[in-house]
Amino acid sequence: MKQLSLKNKKSLVGYSFIFPWIIGFLIFTAFPLVYSLFLSFQQVKLTPNGIVTTYVKFENYIYAFTVDIQYTQVLLRFLRELVISTPIIIVFSLIIALLLNQPIRWRTFFRMVFFLPVIIASGPVIMDLMEQDVTSIPSIEEYAIFDAVLSNTEGLFHTILTYLMENLVIILWYSGVQILMFLAALQKTDRQVYKAAKIDGASNWECFWKVTLPTLFPMIIVNLIYTIVTYSIFALNPVVEHIQSQMFEISTGFGYASALSWIYFLVITLVLVIGVGVLILGNKKYR
Amino acid sequence: MASFHGSKINPDRFHRSQLKFYFILIPMAVLMMLPIVYIFSHALKPIDELFAYPPRFFVQKPTLQNFQDLVNNSNATGVPMSRYLFNSIVVTIIVVFFTVVFSAMAGYALSKKQFKLKKTIFEINTLALMFVPAAVTIPRYLLIDEVGLLNTFFAHIFPLLAMPVGLFLVKQFIDQIPDELIEAALIDGATDFQIFRKIIIPLVKPAIATISILAFQAVWNNAETSTLFVDDENLKTFAFFMSTLAVDAGSGNTVAGQGMAAAASLIMFVPNLIIFIFMQSKVMNTMAHSGIK
Repeated sequence: MKQLSLKNKKSLVGYSFIFPWIIGFLIFTAFPLVYSLFLSFQQVKLTPNGIVTTYVKFENYIYAFTVDIQYTQVLLRFLRELVISTPIIIVFSLIIALLLNQPIRWRTFFRMVFFLPVIIASGPVIMDLMEQDVTSIPSIEEYAIFDAVLSNTEGLFHTILTYLMENLVIILWYSGVQILMFLAALQKTDRQVYKAAKIDGASNWECFWKVTLPTLFPMIIVNLIYTIVTYSIFALNPVVEHIQSQMFEISTGFGYASALSWIYFLVITLVLVIGVGVLILGNKKYR
Repeated sequence: MASFHGSKINPDRFHRSQLKFYFILIPMAVLMMLPIVYIFSHALKPIDELFAYPPRFFVQKPTLQNFQDLVNNSNATGVPMSRYLFNSIVVTIIVVFFTVVFSAMAGYALSKKQFKLKKTIFEINTLALMFVPAAVTIPRYLLIDEVGLLNTFFAHIFPLLAMPVGLFLVKQFIDQIPDELIEAALIDGATDFQIFRKIIIPLVKPAIATISILAFQAVWNNAETSTLFVDDENLKTFAFFMSTLAVDAGSGNTVAGQGMAAAASLIMFVPNLIIFIFMQSKVMNTMAHSGIK
């Protein structure tokens, strides 16, 4: 038997560790994905004898942009929300993580409370809550101050503000895992760096911009990806709801729903690439 | 509260300089707790309060009527509630355990091992994260049918084992473990498996606790597999049972169903809360130790 080289041996160990995961992933995630790509080019009919598909080229995709008036609307609205919410979620969780890293009494308790969204936002709880409309601050528009603010602002800023008011709570609930990741990174940073900076005469404010933020940078990217992903595939997201409603529609069918979700998928990927790209470029300049 | 002292992350005394933090943290914390309070209070509401407009947040005349309805209704269906519960518990335990093991192993390999396609695998995983789960329902059904898992217990288990989010999170955490730690272990003669068990696992406990919470939620609340892949009433899960209650209770009487739905969602939620409280101490405690100086 041929002796394995050290490099091959090492990669063999790597493969063996990842093997069980790969199998599960290929069969139950990757294969259905590819199959749905195939279906998106087909007209799918569910008959008593099984599923009948006919090849229709790009018909489904063309239909999505030309005939289906709802889809593009919903998609655009979703994109706007995503662009507004993601930075807010990340900044918010960063602030909370910084606060939770301070020496305060009952810190463990606060950490637990801020990690709670993990079980709220992904469970059936959130559906219940959204149905009951408790996700917006009740009747906030009635307060004079917001009235004043809203009537004095216009255009884009106004939209952003109203959106924020209506979804503030939801945004906070998205931030559980993000807070955890920032916290973990904060605790791994070396205390001595701060001490050195302090001796050199840096204020807390400067410490944050020059020490904390650069060390957190990789985590900001991770959180950006995580936030965009969880926000997009959230089951009550209007785009996802639209896709689901199309799925069992007789006139359009599953093939069309597959096409819709592939369009959606590509859009999210694009957003993700742009987001990460902007961050990395910005960081290079910053240095 | 010995564990709280063990980790030493709470200062012993309250000091005035901490006030400014409380000023921000307490209102936020209250906001975070609201949904939990709401779930409990909603389940205790009598019918007239459930439909009150504008909806009230707190229950005014708490009643256990919803729970009574729920129990009476369960007795009317053929399969005992305990059977659903048993199915759910078994499935949940198996899935959570293997998800954690697989994700941690794969995360370790992707983060610290050198081999071809390493980057590609992780990128594919991240992409897979972004796909609308609903869109793969039919392909998944066909696949499960093809493999012959339809109408078996395993239909609940296998599709959930490789959790992309899990791998994503664990890998990010393992990336933060310094390579020197692993090299030191190698020099001391540790095998790969020993490194994995004795170094990686203890150091990424926060991530592991997080994904076990996420995996638990994914399985425990999963009524979908029972609806789609399983016909046999005996093999369906508790989540499915709960979701049917609200719909067909009193044969289309959605008004009565609302109360039961509220009670059912509380019952479904409580295990989540328990697991969370149990796990979160692990999440928060181990983060204090970073391993290397």
